[in-house]
Amino acid sequence: MKLLYSLYKEFKVITRDKAGLAITFIMPTVLILIITLIQDTTFRSVNEASVPLLIVDNDHDSLSTVLEKSLINSKFFVITKKQLSVDDAKKEVAKGHYFIGIVIPEHTSDLLRQRSSDRVNKLMSSFSGDTLSSEKIDTSMIRLKLFFDPITKKSFKTTISNSIERIISQIEMQSMVNSLNETMKENFPDAKPSKLEITPIVGLTEEYASYNNSTIIPNSVQHNVPAWTLFAMFFICIPLAGNIIKEREDGSAFRLLTMPGSYMIVILGKMLMYVFVSLIQFALMLCVGLFILPLLGLPQLNIGDNLPVLVLVAFSAGLAATGFGLLVGTIATSHDQASLFGAVFVIILAAIGGVWVPTFVMPEVMKQISVISPLNWGLEAFYGIFLRNFGFKEVFPEVAKLLTFFLVSLGGAYWYQKYRQQH
Amino acid sequence: MSILVEVKDVTKKYKDAPRAAINHLSLTIDKGDVFGLLGPNGAGKTTLISMLCGLFSTTEGEIYINGLTHKTHSNQCKQAIGVVPQEIALYPKLTAWENLLFLGHMYGLKTAPLKEAIKYNLSFLGLESNTHQKISTYSGGMKRRVNLIAGLLHNPQLLILDEPTVGVDVQSKQAIIDYLKKLNTEKGMTILYTSHHLDEAEEFCNRIAIIDDGALVTQGKTKDLIIENNCQSIEEVYLKITGLKFRDK
Repeated sequence: MKLLYSLYKEFKVITRDKAGLAITFIMPTVLILIITLIQDTTFRSVNEASVPLLIVDNDHDSLSTVLEKSLINSKFFVITKKQLSVDDAKKEVAKGHYFIGIVIPEHTSDLLRQRSSDRVNKLMSSFSGDTLSSEKIDTSMIRLKLFFDPITKKSFKTTISNSIERIISQIEMQSMVNSLNETMKENFPDAKPSKLEITPIVGLTEEYASYNNSTIIPNSVQHNVPAWTLFAMFFICIPLAGNIIKEREDGSAFRLLTMPGSYMIVILGKMLMYVFVSLIQFALMLCVGLFILPLLGLPQLNIGDNLPVLVLVAFSAGLAATGFGLLVGTIATSHDQASLFGAVFVIILAAIGGVWVPTFVMPEVMKQISVISPLNWGLEAFYGIFLRNFGFKEVFPEVAKLLTFFLVSLGGAYWYQKYRQQH
Repeated sequence: MSILVEVKDVTKKYKDAPRAAINHLSLTIDKGDVFGLLGPNGAGKTTLISMLCGLFSTTEGEIYINGLTHKTHSNQCKQAIGVVPQEIALYPKLTAWENLLFLGHMYGLKTAPLKEAIKYNLSFLGLESNTHQKISTYSGGMKRRVNLIAGLLHNPQLLILDEPTVGVDVQSKQAIIDYLKKLNTEKGMTILYTSHHLDEAEEFCNRIAIIDDGALVTQGKTKDLIIENNCQSIEEVYLKITGLKFRDK
């Protein structure tokens, strides 16, 4: 019963603290909205079609037309066509207006057709023992110019180059086949050959290695919603620590400690209420991801199919956060000390844990360091549930780490309280 | 009279402290006493009260409440004690009613008698019309009165008051003292009272102990102390014994 009264008291105290409530719920909502919007473009550049590409077409023939069509079909680029000199095109890319610039020189299509025809003719002549087969043909490459924004990552540059090369190879192949057709028609005027299929014979089936064939691509929403929710949940350590210190300073803790029964009941009530608050925070942030962000043109948060496991992770994270708050509140001697220490520590843990910058873009050393942060444990578990449809078994290690962190914090707070009483 | 509190040769030394906060101190408080514990700042009053309440353990010696110690009978000892701290140990965002209901429940009281006790005490101390007002809206005197009620809801045998009238107006001070006298005479509640208002202590307490530097320097019936020291008041006795030297510089 004492626990219930303690819970009720904490509920009243928390719900009447309007400023505290605003910080608890509005701060993470605003953070999620702002950071998700800011990072959306960055995440899209890695994941989705939105690479700005400049085409300077001096060819105005079949190659440029087919190349442009293929680039559009790849859904990887936002294409702009301009008539510029090579130098001006280079400058446009250097200024950062485009990620990539492609300059197609004059008569490229003509040259391509001519060289394809030469190669086919040489091949056909070699069958008939014609002198043409021993003649040399021009094997020099027709050069298209590609300019990359200097800030482009090497891996991304290689990916784009390969894509464009692949498109050009298909155009080359088509040109050769066309030439071959023309030559065959000349040699066999009565024949009615069927069209040679040049569609790819060997293809790749790509899919994300996730459970239940889920093909969710991590995006700004999938990262920022769980990341900033965890940040807010851990930030709860500041009001909780403040609450504990205030009780100590105004004599309430003294009075409660003089009462029969364990003071831990009061602390437990406090802790459970703050875990409840953190769960409300979590639910609210999920709602932001599910209903508010899509209204701003952002992707909808996909929460996976495992709601009970999701709640378990959120509960474990809430316990870890309140345990930490309890430890800070027990050790800190003043409200200022708790606020400063709590805030700085949570910000460091968030930075290490991949809240601000996701761990998958961190250097290797930081990736290894990130595993010490409880926020990283929570984030990894949420990633698992949202992106890979993880179940209890898969998230268990992260849940166990969060619960261990909670128990260690709780034990530390209890030990320190006893130590202070004894000394 | 039977003994309610016995402090037997108690020493308390904090870790790394250069000297003991309480040094071989012994005193007794009889049932029904209004016992004044006086001393300069840093004399050891708060440490002694904390040990009486079971918050700190003794380094040496023993404290008995009704013949029991906190070490072996913590809950019984705590149940016998009500504490009124010097600070307003209440939740400002809760009303007086909510504060008292919570604290009463923490003492393990049943809801119905607790509500009756709250109503009675609030009414007696002139707070019935402010029952459902938040503590943050109360005046200093009103807060002190609620602070007092919070310590006696469970009808303790020993009520420990740490400067219960500090910073309140004359009316509130008189109301508090009158109510304490009533509790002492009508219910036989034993009161341990600390204050720097020595005239108030002289008027209110039937027995007084003066401690300094963690040691007991004198104790006895209030009137006897004045006579034995050839003084006119407890304040004179106090200054004669403890001197004029600052203790907290």
